[in-house]
Amino acid sequence: MNCKELVYLLGDYLEGTMEEPLRQEFSLHLEMCEPCMNFLRTYDTTRILCRQIRCEEIPEEVRTRLKAFVMEKVREHNRDIEKYVEKAAIERREQVSTLLRAYAANRLSPMMAVLFQTHNDRCETCGAFLRSIDGGKSLVEMPKVPPDIEEHIAEFLEALPPGEAPTLS
Amino acid sequence: MPTERVADDNVLLEGLRHGSAEAAETLFDRFHGRIYSLAMSILKNESDAEEAVQDVFLTVVRKAHTFKGNSALYSWMYRICVNTCLMRLRGKRRSETVAIEDFMPVFTEDGMHTSLVDDWSKEVERKALEKELGQVIQKFTETLSEKYRVVFVLSDVEGLSNEETAQILGLTVPAVKSRLHRARLYLRERLTGYLREGKMEKQ
Repeated sequence: MNCKELVYLLGDYLEGTMEEPLRQEFSLHLEMCEPCMNFLRTYDTTRILCRQIRCEEIPEEVRTRLKAFVMEKVREHNRDIEKYVEKAAIERREQVSTLLRAYAANRLSPMMAVLFQTHNDRCETCGAFLRSIDGGKSLVEMPKVPPDIEEHIAEFLEALPPGEAPTLS
Repeated sequence: MPTERVADDNVLLEGLRHGSAEAAETLFDRFHGRIYSLAMSILKNESDAEEAVQDVFLTVVRKAHTFKGNSALYSWMYRICVNTCLMRLRGKRRSETVAIEDFMPVFTEDGMHTSLVDDWSKEVERKALEKELGQVIQKFTETLSEKYRVVFVLSDVEGLSNEETAQILGLTVPAVKSRLHRARLYLRERLTGYLREGKMEKQ
């Protein structure tokens, strides 16, 4: 091993990841070569000194300002999300109610009628609820849909193939 | 305000995903020091660092739901911080950097040192020099191009392992080692020069 090779391997040596035969060769050269020993010491010292330039403290004033800013933005963000969630819930309620109205009035598209019927035959909760609104009477006012049924029917709607118009035009 | 201690990063993330302001506050309290320090090391400017830290926390809060948990939370945040800082640097005129090649050690044809090597490792142990050297190193790292500086900052200043640095920067471990080594060689050489000049001035 010559000096150039030794310098190239300094990182591995100091990290202690060097394989044993190589390490021995490294140490052997180091013992006999003062420039390399000095190089290693200064290289290692550089490494250690650099730890100290870590900006350890954030100025209190910056910290306070940053925190206030971040928290305000987080609240804004959360408000946006709440609004979005609310909007999505309203949309969902409307979709479910449209579907149920069309069902009660026999205005589902043929494809939907089949799919919806299949679901209702299998699903006890939805089935029971639908029987309660089914009966030929044209519903002027839709009875309030219980939340669990609404969620269930919304899931059913979400799983539909795209482009399927649920009602007859 | 309830100050329920959010015990670990996963709980914290879960809270963020549910839009908990308390989780966001804990996140800030837990990480702002490290993130600010990293941003300062890369950007070298207080107001730039402050804006970068803002961006980092907003990104984390908004993207908490996309975090897969393949790495530690801090490592994900470091990555966001590095990316944010690099984007900021790119938007600016580059601060002057030097050709690192000019400061690499020189060897003879058969690979020997061409000159004697000063051992100043004992000299710098003096307390009086500490602060001064800190500033000097700071100044020298600023002249490193970002390619080397970011690796150097993560590994040697922040003290991350080479593997962590590699993961954060999307580099291979050998690439990290090689850049780190060159950055150290550069700084060692600059320090040698600085201390030699300083000595001459005193004589």
